[in-house]
Parts: sequence; C-alpha cells; structure tokens
Amino acid sequence: MTKSYIRFWGVRGSYSAPFETCLKTGGNTPCVEINVDGHTLICDAGSGIIPLGNKLLNNEKNKDILILLTHFHWDHISGLPFFGPAFHPKYNISFFGPGESKEIIKKYIDDQMKAPYFPVGTEEWVANISYLDPKEKNITYGPMEISYYSAYHPGITYGYKINVNNKTIVYIPDNECLSPNKPIENPEEFSDEEITILEEMTREEYRAETNTIENTDILIHDAQYTPEDYEKKKGWGHSCYTDVINMAIDANVKNLFLFSHDPNNNDEMISKIFEDSKKIIKNRGSSLKCFISTESLKVSLD
Amino acid sequence: MSEYKRTAVLVDDNESSHKFFLRSVENLSIDLKAYRDTDTAMKFLGENKPSILFLNIILPDKNGLTFLGELRKLPLHAKTPVIMLTSNDYSQDRTVGSELGVLDFIVKPMSMRTITSIMLDYIK
Repeated sequence: MTKSYIRFWGVRGSYSAPFETCLKTGGNTPCVEINVDGHTLICDAGSGIIPLGNKLLNNEKNKDILILLTHFHWDHISGLPFFGPAFHPKYNISFFGPGESKEIIKKYIDDQMKAPYFPVGTEEWVANISYLDPKEKNITYGPMEISYYSAYHPGITYGYKINVNNKTIVYIPDNECLSPNKPIENPEEFSDEEITILEEMTREEYRAETNTIENTDILIHDAQYTPEDYEKKKGWGHSCYTDVINMAIDANVKNLFLFSHDPNNNDEMISKIFEDSKKIIKNRGSSLKCFISTESLKVSLD
Repeated sequence: MSEYKRTAVLVDDNESSHKFFLRSVENLSIDLKAYRDTDTAMKFLGENKPSILFLNIILPDKNGLTFLGELRKLPLHAKTPVIMLTSNDYSQDRTVGSELGVLDFIVKPMSMRTITSIMLDYIK
C-alpha cells in the first residue's frame, strides 16, 4: 500500500465541468491532496475538496489537516462550504494563503459562506480551525517543508513549493507563464538601446521564473489554453500548454502534470493536447515526462 | 526619520530594469536607489521616504502589492507616491493597487520617456 502520495481531486480551472464528455478527465475545480505518512496537506479547496472531505471522514485516522490556498477566486474555495471535516469536532484544520494577516484570510473564507450567498456560516464549523500567520516565509508540516512565491494571475496569487521525501513538488494552478521570446509590440516607438535592454529584461524575467521551478520533480501547472485560445485570452492569467511545456523543459523539470483544464475542453480535446505535448517534448529532445492531471489520479511519493 | 528630496526608489529583482531606470533618470539629477527584494529595500524605506517609489508586483521574497499594504501601515509611507510595475496588466491588480493608493501602473515593456515623464511629474 502506498504510504505517501499525491492524489488529484479537482483538475478543472475557472468552473466545474460535470458533463458526460468531460468525466474521463474530471469535472471538479482545483484540489490536490498530498499525503505523507498520514499527514494530510490539501492544495486548494475547489469543488474537488468535497469528495476528499468525505474520504477523510470515512477512512483517515489522522485528524490534522493543513489547507494551502493559492488565492481566493471562487473556483479555489467553492468546496469549503461542503467540506465535511470542518463540521466534525475531532478535526484540526489550519489554513494558509496570501494576505496581510490571519484576520484577513479568515474574512476571505468567511465571506463566501455569508447570507445571502450561503445559508450556513463558518460559525457552524465545529472543527478546531486556525489560520497560520501569512507573514511566515516557510512552513513545516510533518515531514513537509513548504515555501511559496507569487504567480502571474489577477490579484495576489501564490504557487507552492513542497519538499518531501527528497522530492520537490511545485503546485501552481493559476499562472500565466512568461515566454523568453515575447516580441515587443510597436517596436518603432522604441530606440535601439531601449529595445536591447527591454529584450534582455524579458529574458531575465523568464530566467527568474524558470529558476523558481528548476529541477522540480513534480510540477503541477496551469495549462488551461490551447495556442488558439490564448491568442484571444492573453492577460486572463492562465497559461497556454505549449508555453508551459517549453518552460518546464527549460527548467529541467522531471515530471509535468498539466492542470487547470479549460472546462470547455472535453476529454477528446484534452487527449489531443496530450498528443501534441508529447510531440513538442520529442521535437526538443527532452526527457521531460508529461501527464494530464485527471480526477482520482494517484502518484506515489515513496 | 528624515525626508529625502528628489530620491526615487525602485524595487525590482530584474537587473535590466535597474539599468533601464538608471539610463532614464541620468539627466534628471535624481538619486535613484534600486533594490532587488523587499527585505533590502525595507532597510532604506524603514527610515526614509522617497519622492516616489516604483514597485514591481512579482518579487522574489514577497508580492509587491502585499509589501505595499505593509508599507501603508507605517505613518512614514501613508502617502508615499507609488507606481506599480508589471509584465501582465490585470484589472484586479489595479483594483487592489487603487485601494492602496497606487498612482499608476507601468506595463513592461515601457519607454524611457514614460519613466522620465513620471519622474518629472512627481519629483518637483
């Protein structure tokens, strides 16, 4: 039996996709469980946290849970009102996320459960709920060492880096990753000197992003758009899968899990994305292993 | 605490951005202090108020908007003029920035003329 693992409970970005043509991939919004020697770490609380909560209530002996929130957009917190362990007195649940204070994070979580949006408020939670100081730069949770960094996404959004069992996991479900060769629009408006420095600025920014994920063993990254979609949706805060694959190769990532699938993309379209991803990796002569994140997919960390 | 006149502060981990700003202000008699992270910048900003602060959103040690929220709680920086820098222009960032009293956003790639013009507007 696997002792330490990652399990995907919700893999869709933006909103749920409970449609017949999408269920091979899965329809729930972001939630990933990282379980190491019985320590339950939950990344995001989208609708995928609801079945995870039910599993915890039924099976787990461990009653301590740490929930990392990347940000507070609905698709990342919408499962919390139905998260069973919060309504059980034997659980200790801690939250960590972006914010200036514990009080602000509590407010963000409370607000979505207030009337008229929801009939049951967080005051009905009977678990022991706590909020970690968001000013902490590193968190230790059992055998896991956790750090975070800012993502390119509207509002203050984090990606999390988790070191455990001599492996590095990066979870960054919403991020509009950069490109090293982003052309300068309207180059005629700039002098030659400006263009030279600006192009180096772009490359340097890209290097900073790849340095953050360099040599990662398991990268779980936003890959919501196809190149055609991204042309229409630049600046929406999500990545095109081709950019993510190239960035992962440049950063010498070992295993890439394409995540935050567009709810408009059915299983057939996601299969095509996977096939194209393999071609890109082959054409670049890379050893990167690429996977499609699917609901109930379990990855061993032993 | 002392108030520095004609001092601009840049917080951005990008060295080319430092170079770009330095070239932009070299004829303006402005003392540009450039830092690569918020911890280092705070050693100066903890005791000094610049005429203007340029703050990148994505920084290695802290989100620029989070850092600004902390700065605003200090009486010294309650009204420090702040311009945010970003490679991706998101409206929600502008909303957060507006609540924190940000004067404007500069979206990269920008021109030296843009930087010079802002400097001249706010450093009088």
